Amino acid sequence: MRLNERSQMPLLAGITLRYALTYAALMLLGALFLIPFLWMLSVSLQDAQGMFALPFRWIPDRPRWENYGTALSAIPFGRYLFNTSVITASVLALTLFSCTLVAYGFARLRFPGRDMLFAVCIATMMLPGQVTMIPLYMAYARLGWVDTYLPLIVPSLFGSPFYIFLLRQFFLTIPREYDEAALLDGAGRLRIYWSIVLPLARPAVATVTLFCFIGTWNDFFGPLIYLNSPEKATLTLGLNMLKSQVIGSGSVQWHILMAASVLVMLPNIIVFFIAQKQFIRGIQIGGLRG
Amino acid sequence: MTPRAQWLAAAALVLASCGTGDRKTEVEYNCPANALEIEVLQREIARFEADSGIRIRLNPFSGQDKLYAMMAAGKAPDIFYTNSTMRDRMAAEGRILDLRTVSKGDSLPGRLWPHVIRNGTSADGGWYSLGNWEFTCGVYYRKDLFREAGLNPPDSSWTWDDMVSLARKLTRPARADGRGGRYGIFIGSHFVEALELMTGADLPGEMLTLRIPAESADLYRRYVALMDEGIMPDLLRMQAMGMQPAQLLQNGKVAMLVEAVPNQSLIEAMTEPWGVAPLPRFPGKKPAYFRSASGGLSLSASTRDPGAAWKALKWIVTEASTYQPNPVLRDVDFTGGWEKRYPQLLGSGFRQVWDLSLEHNGGDPRFFVRFSSWTSGPILERLQPLLDQVWARKKPVDSLLAAVPAINSEVRRELAATSATMTMKPEFREKIEQALKEMHDHSAF
Repeated sequence: MRLNERSQMPLLAGITLRYALTYAALMLLGALFLIPFLWMLSVSLQDAQGMFALPFRWIPDRPRWENYGTALSAIPFGRYLFNTSVITASVLALTLFSCTLVAYGFARLRFPGRDMLFAVCIATMMLPGQVTMIPLYMAYARLGWVDTYLPLIVPSLFGSPFYIFLLRQFFLTIPREYDEAALLDGAGRLRIYWSIVLPLARPAVATVTLFCFIGTWNDFFGPLIYLNSPEKATLTLGLNMLKSQVIGSGSVQWHILMAASVLVMLPNIIVFFIAQKQFIRGIQIGGLRG
Repeated sequence: MTPRAQWLAAAALVLASCGTGDRKTEVEYNCPANALEIEVLQREIARFEADSGIRIRLNPFSGQDKLYAMMAAGKAPDIFYTNSTMRDRMAAEGRILDLRTVSKGDSLPGRLWPHVIRNGTSADGGWYSLGNWEFTCGVYYRKDLFREAGLNPPDSSWTWDDMVSLARKLTRPARADGRGGRYGIFIGSHFVEALELMTGADLPGEMLTLRIPAESADLYRRYVALMDEGIMPDLLRMQAMGMQPAQLLQNGKVAMLVEAVPNQSLIEAMTEPWGVAPLPRFPGKKPAYFRSASGGLSLSASTRDPGAAWKALKWIVTEASTYQPNPVLRDVDFTGGWEKRYPQLLGSGFRQVWDLSLEHNGGDPRFFVRFSSWTSGPILERLQPLLDQVWARKKPVDSLLAAVPAINSEVRRELAATSATMTMKPEFREKIEQALKEMHDHSAF
């Protein structure tokens, strides 16, 4: 036994070393990705000259928390936060509703032309936004939707091909036997969707929620194109206004801009940490089956 | 009251509420997306509205994507910014109004410096944009560093060679730990074009093809030599650091700096003693100081009430406080207004630099202004990468000269395609076809 243990020791040591090296490499890579965020956080707590100090001071001598107060008052932050929240919540609700339903149809229902329709749906991802921008704007202008939140919200009712693809892939991993058992018990297709498939697809739904939240919260181009009135602006437009603004010393106040950016990013970070576990599982399983 | 009468009364009420009320003329102004400017404008707009009965609705955004989308939908803002790279095209397509048609009998054109109208005039002789700001440029310097080195500050007679000599004397090598170094001068690459004027190079505006005069090429070589000699910081390093010019001067990283005059950001950021001198001259050449003329405000051809849009435009240029005192107006004391706002300008040399730029107005030779609206895109997308390599000292200036015929040949091809496919006013088409013929006849093509 002891001999056996001894003979396994180099093997164990090898595995441990491999793990250690892998984790070290991952941690290094993680730290690399974290640097821009830490830099932003550090600049947000420094004075106007801090960003340009050589060598850069990562930890300021005296953290200037007042920068956050200035950032909050430099633009109508509360108003923009409210506008962004309204748009994000609406888009999220409509996207989850439409995409889960469409993905369920593609994954579970059999009907003529299903695969072709799915291919067409996926193919729409190939269309660059620049190509559709002007026709879409013209259509929304004709509907009288420009300078309202409708062009930003209503399209999410018609699904997003990427989310549909992600959800469909996940739905395919759920055994069909559950559906069959439910059908035998007299459940309809919508009941199966609501009571069986959706609860089992929580990781995929969490992933879509996260992607959709981050995408909508950070969207700059959509609000820029469709919103005109300053009071209807979103946080990203507000950041842009802050960037072009000449405050205090006259030049762009990067420390204030970074403080505002941290505040704008905060909900993204919170949502990510809440959905992290489900998110990683969703990505893993969603990518398994084609 | 019978039910029928009640219905009729209700309908009358609805109609009445639709037909009357606050029906002011509304003008949409695409102002810069700047929170502070928006706040100030919104406050002042209320006063303008009370006086004129015209409501100005702000639509703050920057960039052309949205503008083109709005135009395609027939919803362009009534007042928006155009620069020289887009103005001619928009005028040719009939998208912007000839301001002569709306300003008849108005006193404003008479209040403008003549060059302001000239700068906004297109190939058909129409006046399509009203500049709402102008600047010149000069050499800012740290007075204390000059004093410390026992040097006299520059004046209007100084030459390029004087500037180089001073820069050498003001340059200090860095210590072993990399700190404490100082460069004599910093000239951003976008200011080289302003200096080209001082060399006497012939740089007419609205050029359809790329031409690099010998004087310009000589200046490019001199510019690169500043970096080679180590008296000016390397441009690539400066870009990587993202440092703002005002901070370079304030921190003492450079002793002299070419920048816009006036430069609000620099004036407010500087706490060390500073002055500003005109751009250095070149012996035997007449001074021709830079004066910006890149763009201005235009009126959309789709505006419902051109008269109201003109009144709003006039108010923005002449009264809105964010643009006052406005240098495009002859009858305002621009330098006095700035000196009042920033007393540190008194005795700084600001007034002299400004007055010289009016007296010897060389115009705006920046590349995006130098070339015509029709060809600046095709020229710049080929020229800029080459210039970047020259400034990075990866290619010699001669390589730039060697590339000119090939660039012009491509430009001619694209211009011919544009002329064949684009719908435009006949006056513009004639000009382009004439230019194409000249290019064809010219030996270079």
